[in-house]
Amino acid sequence: MSEGPELSDIEALAAEHALGVLSGPERAAAEARVARDPAFAALVAGWRERLSPLLDGVPEVAPPPGAWERIARALPANDNRALRFWRGMTAGAVGVAAASLAVAIFLANRPPVLVQTPPGQAAPLLNASLTSQASGRPMFIAAYDPARKALIVTSLMPADPGHAHELWVIPADGKPHPLGLVAPGTSKAMPMPGTMAPMLQPGATLAVSIEPPGGSPNKHAPSGPIAAVGKLAEI
Amino acid sequence: MARIAAGDREALRQLYQATSAKLFGVALRILSDREDAQDVLQEVYLTVWRRADRFDEARASVMTWVSAIARNRAIDRLRARGPLARAEPVEGLEIADEGALGAEALLSAADDSGRLGACLSELDKRTETAIRTAFFEGLTYEALARRMDAPLGTVKSWIRRGLARLKGCLER
Repeated sequence: MSEGPELSDIEALAAEHALGVLSGPERAAAEARVARDPAFAALVAGWRERLSPLLDGVPEVAPPPGAWERIARALPANDNRALRFWRGMTAGAVGVAAASLAVAIFLANRPPVLVQTPPGQAAPLLNASLTSQASGRPMFIAAYDPARKALIVTSLMPADPGHAHELWVIPADGKPHPLGLVAPGTSKAMPMPGTMAPMLQPGATLAVSIEPPGGSPNKHAPSGPIAAVGKLAEI
Repeated sequence: MARIAAGDREALRQLYQATSAKLFGVALRILSDREDAQDVLQEVYLTVWRRADRFDEARASVMTWVSAIARNRAIDRLRARGPLARAEPVEGLEIADEGALGAEALLSAADDSGRLGACLSELDKRTETAIRTAFFEGLTYEALARRMDAPLGTVKSWIRRGLARLKGCLER
């Protein structure tokens, strides 16, 4: 067989990355380059495609029964959309993302998104940074969109097995109302029904309490300690 | 994929039905352990769920994309098992002794038909086996060199030349 052409350095690197022979640090550098260099990313994709027929020869094996149910249970609730929405609304307004490495990396890997605000939208967006009373660090970030009647919440809490984190709104009358549970490290969009929406006003307090799994047994007050508190304000 | 990116669980379930046997097969081939393979399967669909918006149909077919994720996840797991997982004796491996080099890789030699298989078989046996072993076991250059008992630079040049020839052959 003839010698054939040599690969250029950049293409050789792309091929090596696709094949998987690079060492840990080299692989990390190549991944970073994929993220910022579209030409390199295209070369890597081309090599993945070239090598992928190797996988065609692998015989299919039916996964164990129940595998899908396990996956379905593990699916976060639309967190990709919620995070993107969240970031679009609050970019620059809330500098707390760095508090969570996971969230920060997740955001850094995505191109900027411009959110078009519908014209004539009357009610302003609200947000709140819920900080720990002990450390002063932000533990939750929340944004309320009156047009959607949805509260978007991101938890920056460390993993806390055996406990649930319950979000409450405390309007001017001082009576807490439960809004729902937020798992550590996740984001969720909580639809606010007609009875709750009017409570989400500038100045209303949001708080998160540490509760047994399933939330506070008392629907009118937290049963456990308060992890974080913040007030809603116009963005 | 657009429906999955928009948060449609039913679309993900359909993708699972169409691709899970393939992906489980890939994970099992790389890991040789059903429990690990099932964990990888779950990671793959959770990754697809989170990153479906990054799928670019101009670059890859859906099957190629999800298979690549499955392979990468399985290899990550294989590497995480650490060096103990590869506690096979290194001494006595001759470069010429292909049998000792990834029986896994050799097994697959008969499986993949088509142009890539034909082009791989045009390479010298040592290079072909090195490429297959790297692909299916996620071996780095360093690990390949140890396994093949050959200098690192030599292994690198075999693989680089092999990849260049593969490309030339596939473009013919």
